[in-house]
Amino acid sequence: MSFKEISHTADVKIQARAPTLESLFSETCNALMQVMYGTSRKGLNKREIVVTSDDTESLLLEFLSEVLFVSEVEGIVFSAARVRINGSNLQAEMEGEPFNKDRHAQGTEVKGISYSGLSIRQDANGYMVDILFDV
Amino acid sequence: MFQGITRISTLEWEVPLGFVPGMRVPGRFFLSESLEKLLEPGAVQQLANVATLPGIIKNSLAMPDIHWGYGFPIGGVAAFDLTEGVISPGGVGFDINCGVRLLATPLAQKDVAGRKDLIENLYHAVPTGVGAKSAQKVTGQVLDAGFGERNDLVRCEEGGFMKDADPQQVSSKAKQRGIPQGGTLGSGNHFLELQVVREIYDEVAAKAFGLFKDQVCCMIHCGSRGLGHQTCTDHIKILEAATKKYQIKLPDRQLACAPISSHEGKAYFGAMAASANYAWANRQLITHTTRNVLAKMFSIDYGEMPLVYDVAHNVAKFEEHIVNGKKEKVCVHRKGATRSFGPYAPDIPSELSPIGQPVIIPGSMGTSSFVLRGTLTAMERTFGSTCHGAGRVMSRTQAKKKFSGRDVMASLALRGILVKAPNEAAIADEAPEVYKPSEDVVRVVHDAGLSLLVARLDPLGVIKG
Repeated sequence: MSFKEISHTADVKIQARAPTLESLFSETCNALMQVMYGTSRKGLNKREIVVTSDDTESLLLEFLSEVLFVSEVEGIVFSAARVRINGSNLQAEMEGEPFNKDRHAQGTEVKGISYSGLSIRQDANGYMVDILFDV
Repeated sequence: MFQGITRISTLEWEVPLGFVPGMRVPGRFFLSESLEKLLEPGAVQQLANVATLPGIIKNSLAMPDIHWGYGFPIGGVAAFDLTEGVISPGGVGFDINCGVRLLATPLAQKDVAGRKDLIENLYHAVPTGVGAKSAQKVTGQVLDAGFGERNDLVRCEEGGFMKDADPQQVSSKAKQRGIPQGGTLGSGNHFLELQVVREIYDEVAAKAFGLFKDQVCCMIHCGSRGLGHQTCTDHIKILEAATKKYQIKLPDRQLACAPISSHEGKAYFGAMAASANYAWANRQLITHTTRNVLAKMFSIDYGEMPLVYDVAHNVAKFEEHIVNGKKEKVCVHRKGATRSFGPYAPDIPSELSPIGQPVIIPGSMGTSSFVLRGTLTAMERTFGSTCHGAGRVMSRTQAKKKFSGRDVMASLALRGILVKAPNEAAIADEAPEVYKPSEDVVRVVHDAGLSLLVARLDPLGVIKG
C-alpha cells in the first residue's frame, strides 16, 4: 500500500495504490489524515464509520467525506481504518486519538473531496485511484 | 496558445464549439501575453466543460487568474437561463462565499512601524489553522449581537445577507461543523493581512471608498468554514441523483447540477445562500476581533475603522443582465471571480453609485493587493465580473520542495513584512513565487475594462491560516 501527492496547481491530488479495494480505501483515508494533521497520529481510541453509496467511486467519496466530518466535529485524528465493503455498504473500524494542537496542527484543512478526475482502476497489481482534495 | 484556440482581441481568446463534445456556447477568456505561458490545458478543458451545461448564456467565461480547479476552472464565470438553465455546486466550490473584505483605519504607516506586537496580538486573537475553534458564540444576527456597526452591512455585497437563504436546507451536520467555527480564519490561502495604501490611481474613487495614501488597512480573506464545505458535499450528493433524474449528460461528475426551477436546484440555492450568509457573519466576527485589537493598542475608536467593502468570490446569484438586447434575470455562477458592478448598477451603496462598486483583489503573501472599481464594460462583457486574485502557478508539492517556510519568512522580514502561521509548511505552500504576479493579472482586467484601478496596497504583516 502506498500513496503519493501528485502535482496539482490549486489543490491536493493524491494517487494511491493497494492490493485490494478495501486497503485502497484505507490508504486514501491515511492520505487525507496526513494532509490535514501530519504523520504523528496514534491509535488510542476506536470509532466505527458506516456509509452506503451506489458505485465504488461515490462510496469512496462518501467514506472520506464522513471521515472529514467526524474528524472535525468530534476532534479525532485518525491513524488507521480497517475497511469492509459489501456491495454498496461500507463499514470501517477506525483508530485514532483526540486532536492535539502541538502534534496535529502541521497540515492544512481539507474543505471537501472532489469528483473531478476521480476514478478507481484495477490492474494485475491491484487497485489504484487518483483523488482530489480541495484545500 | 493551445491548438484550436483563437485570439479575438489583444486580451481575449475564444475556445470554439467542439473543443470538447457537447459544447452549447463558445468559451472566452482574458489573458495577456505574459500570462499566456502559465495557462494550463486542464483549466481550458474545464472552461469548455462548463460550456456543455444546459441553459448556459452567451459564453463560458474565465478571468485572467484562470487555473485548474474542479468542476468550473478557478476564475470561471457562467450565467444560466432561469427556464432552461441549471445550478451547480461545481460553479461555486466547497468554500461557499469565500471572499475578501478591506477594513480602513485612521493609522498611517509610521504609527505601526516597529510594532511587531500588532501581528502577534492579532494572531493570538483570531483563531487560525487546522482544528481551530472559536470562543465567539452568536445567536441571531451578528450585528444585533454587537459585533459590528450598521454601516458594515451597507458596505457588503448583497448587504451581507442573501434574502433567499433557506437555512432548512442546511443539514444538521453542516450546522454542527459551523457552530464552533464562527470567527475562525481557516487554513490554505486564507489570511488576515495588514497593508498600507502605497499608491492611488483614481483620487475621486479612492476618496469615496475612504482610502488615502499611506493609510494602514486590514484585509481579511476567508469563507464559510465547515458549514459551507459540508453544504457543498451534502448537495453534490443530492444533485448527482438529480443529474440522472433529469438526464443531464456531464463531462465531469463535479459539475453535478439540476434545473434552477427544480426542487433540487432550489434546495441547493437556498442552502448555498444560507452558507454565504454564514461566511459574511464569519468575516464580520473576525472584523470585530481585529477592531478591538487595534482600538486597544492604538487608542482609536471602533467607529474609526469602517469597512471599505466586502466581496464574495465563490457564489451563484440571481442578477439582471442584458441578454440579446433585453434585460433578463439570470443565474450567475462565479467560481474564483469577483462581481464588478459598474456605476448605477443595483446593490451598490448609494454614496458609491456614480463610481461603481469597490472590487478588492488580494495579492499573494508578499505581493501587492489592489482596489479597483466596477465598470459598465464588465456589465456588458462578463455579467459584471472580474478576476479574484493572483492565481497559483505552482503546486503545493513543488512549493514545499522548492522553498522552506523559514527562508520565505526571512526574505519577507528583510522587506519589513512579518508572517505568523501555525506551521512553516503553511508558509512555504503560499510563498509569493507560487502565484502569478498579482499586478499582471490586475493589469489585464484594467486594460480590458472589466474593472479599473483605484489603489495599490502593500503588505506590512500577515497571519496565515
